[in-house]
Amino acid sequence: MKREAESNFNMARSERRPTIFNLSLQPQFEHLLSELETNEVSGVSVVIRAIYDGDEHQKFMECLDSRIKSHDKDIERMCNFHYQGFIDSIRELLQVRTQAQKLNTEVVRLDEELQQSANRVISKGEELVQARRVESNIASAIDSLTTCLPVLSTYAKLQKQMGEKRYYPALKTLEQLEHLYLPRVANYQFAQQMRDNIPKLRDNIKDASMSDLKDFLENIRKFSPKIGEVAMRHTAEQMGGDPGVIGGKKKRIALSAPNPFTGKVESNESDYDEEDLSAQDLIDFSPVYRCLHIFSVLGSRDTFEAYYRQQRKQQARLVLQPPTNMHESLEGYRSYIHGIVGFLVTEDHLLNTGNGLVSHSYLDELWSMALGKIVNALRTHSAYCTDATLMLKIKNLIMLFLTSLQNYGYPVSQLLELLTEIRDHYNEVLMQRWVQVFREILDEECFLPIEVETQEEYDCVLSSFPFHDEPLEVSPFPKIFPFSSMVPKVYQQVKEFIYACLKFSEDLNLSQAEVDDMIRKSTNLLLTRTFSGCLTSIFRKPSLALLQVVQIIIDTGYLENATVFLEEFVSNMTGSNRSDGHLTLRSQGQSAMFRVARDDAERQICDKLRGKVSEFLELENYDWLLVEPKGHASSFVTDLIAFLHSTFQSFTNLPDEVAQQACCAACEHIANSVMALMLSDDVKQISMGALQQINLDTIQCEQFAASEPVPGLEEGVLLRYFADLRQLLDLFMTWDWPTYFHDYGQENSKYQLVNPSTAIILVEKLREADKRTMFSVLKKSERDKKKLLETVLKQLRQLAQTQQQSQPSLPQSTQLSQPQQQLQAPVQ
Amino acid sequence: MAKTYDYLFKLLLIGDSGVGKTCVLFRFSEDAFNTSFISTIGIDFKIRTIELDGKKIKLQIWDTAGQERFRTITTAYYRGAMGIMLVYDITNEKSFENIKNWIRNIEENASADVEKMLLGNKCELSEKRQVTKDRGDALAIEYGIKFMETSAKASINVEEAFYTLARDIKAKTEKKLEASNPPKGGHQLKATEPQRKPTNWLSRCSLL
Repeated sequence: MKREAESNFNMARSERRPTIFNLSLQPQFEHLLSELETNEVSGVSVVIRAIYDGDEHQKFMECLDSRIKSHDKDIERMCNFHYQGFIDSIRELLQVRTQAQKLNTEVVRLDEELQQSANRVISKGEELVQARRVESNIASAIDSLTTCLPVLSTYAKLQKQMGEKRYYPALKTLEQLEHLYLPRVANYQFAQQMRDNIPKLRDNIKDASMSDLKDFLENIRKFSPKIGEVAMRHTAEQMGGDPGVIGGKKKRIALSAPNPFTGKVESNESDYDEEDLSAQDLIDFSPVYRCLHIFSVLGSRDTFEAYYRQQRKQQARLVLQPPTNMHESLEGYRSYIHGIVGFLVTEDHLLNTGNGLVSHSYLDELWSMALGKIVNALRTHSAYCTDATLMLKIKNLIMLFLTSLQNYGYPVSQLLELLTEIRDHYNEVLMQRWVQVFREILDEECFLPIEVETQEEYDCVLSSFPFHDEPLEVSPFPKIFPFSSMVPKVYQQVKEFIYACLKFSEDLNLSQAEVDDMIRKSTNLLLTRTFSGCLTSIFRKPSLALLQVVQIIIDTGYLENATVFLEEFVSNMTGSNRSDGHLTLRSQGQSAMFRVARDDAERQICDKLRGKVSEFLELENYDWLLVEPKGHASSFVTDLIAFLHSTFQSFTNLPDEVAQQACCAACEHIANSVMALMLSDDVKQISMGALQQINLDTIQCEQFAASEPVPGLEEGVLLRYFADLRQLLDLFMTWDWPTYFHDYGQENSKYQLVNPSTAIILVEKLREADKRTMFSVLKKSERDKKKLLETVLKQLRQLAQTQQQSQPSLPQSTQLSQPQQQLQAPVQ
Repeated sequence: MAKTYDYLFKLLLIGDSGVGKTCVLFRFSEDAFNTSFISTIGIDFKIRTIELDGKKIKLQIWDTAGQERFRTITTAYYRGAMGIMLVYDITNEKSFENIKNWIRNIEENASADVEKMLLGNKCELSEKRQVTKDRGDALAIEYGIKFMETSAKASINVEEAFYTLARDIKAKTEKKLEASNPPKGGHQLKATEPQRKPTNWLSRCSLL
């Protein structure tokens, strides 16, 4: 409203101006007035000055008055004009005033209401602020916790892994914790603690994994025999345990398998695959790997390696210590070898998988140490062994051992050498066994020619001994073989022996020549030493009869002939073709193999025969003072001759020269014994009658000698043994001393063999015998006789003396043995 | 020269193969036993000197093969024998039954006055016995000879058997001596006497 008034005022003013101009023609005042009217204070002063500076202030006063009057008029007009409006406005104003009052109360009331409601809002607002603050606190707490949580959960994981003994992950976790999580929460105290704990944890892990390793080491020690066993079983399977149809096939596969590293590992693993899980259960290498990893991660791999190797070396030493009673059974060897194989297989496995934990050089060193010990232990223990079967088993075991190790790449040549040594021992043991076998055969043997009743039996003998005889073939049953059952038995046993020898050499990778040589040597030894030894001990049996010795000689002859077949047998067995140096070996063997036994038997037969003859001669019952001979031979001599006759009859199967030799030995022995009987110092006196009786007995013997008791002897050969006895007896029977002395020393003397000293003894004995009768009867004839005796004696003594001077060393015995030597020469 | 013995008696062991003749002889001559069976081939003999009533007696004991195939060789020795031991095996019925055949053999081949004795050997094997002692006794009585059960292995009665036989032969010999010689007969004759006995069979051999 005011504005309205104002504008109204302004309007009125602008309308008035031109009027002024019109009324007063004095512009300058006008100007000053307008200046005043502009409401500018400063302007007032200026105007006032301007007015005071002029003289016309009267005029100006007038102008001003006029102007005021005009303005008053304007205002009056204006007020007239606006009065109604003014009234209206007042009225309106009054109205407004009530309304305003109303409005005011309204506002107050509203205000109060508002106040009230606002109070609640304010309190809520405050709560809200509180809540907001809490909320933000929570959020920040959550933030902190989310950063800490991984740390804690990692730590928990770590603990759990530790608990579960998963040390390697634990170590990884630890690392994570240390480098990833902990720095993020570095300002926390627990983090600090954790940080402090980390080295301890590391140590714990180290210790724990170490103790795991120790467990492992303990385990492996416990189970390595089992591993060895399994490994060896697989080798055995690879080698193709059965030499049957599939054997060859298997072998070929096996040969290709253990080639390079992969092959070895494969075979190693296959051990575990095939082994119904048990082997795998047995040994779990993870502790080693883990431990190795852990130590590598921890940077102390060297310590670990050193520790591991040292431990294993110690274990090796333990494994290599053979059980003290190992030689007693195969079980001992087996467990020993299994232990070693287990150990080595384990090492080999680690060599291939252990990431350098087991190095080649370490293993080589270990192996060379072990090899020496193994060889020593096996050598010592096998030396105790006296059981060939066991030795064979040991050999197979060692062979398997060797092959197993070879498959794993261990050099085994020394073991092969050991096997050859053991083989020599084995052969010795075999000999011992065959001594027993031969002894049993010989003990059970009757030494009777085999008699067969049926073709079946006949074939049976021929199948076990190579023998062919046309007449026997066609002769009717019962057929009698010339040899006793010992021959096929021994022949078979020699074959068995050869077979047994071979058995050891099987798959020993020896050359055929070596095997051949070995067998020949062993067989030779067997027959020359063992078999002969058995025969010798048989010979020593007093119950062995002469004829049995004869049969033995015959038997050995047949065995000797069969050596050719043995040679063939050996060649067939070894598969070597008979050529080159083979034949020389054979001829060597043939002559040597049974020769010793035969020689012994032949000696025995002579000895036995002599023994029997001696026994007969023990029965000698001469009456040395016999006056008249009985007119027939003494009973013991006839018995002896009868015995010799029947004995020599049974010599027909004997090789001629053996029979001849035996016969010569017997005759020589008889002749010497009779001679010795007469000359014996025990016999002090001999009567002529007794001498005649001896002559009769000697004649009986000579008749036997002349009757060709064994075939093939040169005529008179046997008689030659009796020659000196005969000449001596002839000389005394005929009392032909003049001839004796006359012809003495001449080549064709009748009594060439009568030695003067021998004659002296006999003459002296005769003289002694005569003395007894001479005391009573001193007839002339007796005196003459005595005189002659003295003369003869004197002459003889002279001869003996000259003989001694001319031929100081020609005792009777050399003369005697001369014919014998001539006889023996062709035999030898 | 001193005599090494006063009498020489020749004894003969006969019986089936395997009854233990050689073992009995072996026990007597060597006082040993050999389990291994070596059957005798043909004939063999052992000598042992024993003493009876102050007299040295040499026993030459011939061991014959029991097997049939040696029969011809062995029977040749019957004649010279002064005593014969008939041996059977108490665990072998057959060997006992065969004793009769052996006695027939003796009657055919040996001198009539030969002294005989029956031995049942292997008496240590009582659990395998097949021939009772009574049967042995009965057989011996039937033939009027002496009987003993022996064991070469256990050394039972072997010594006694030979001594008994030797004593009987000695008695017989001395009785004959006295009969043929006046009581004043010197000891020289005694020595030669045993040689007279075999003369009859010697003549066969000494067909000079």
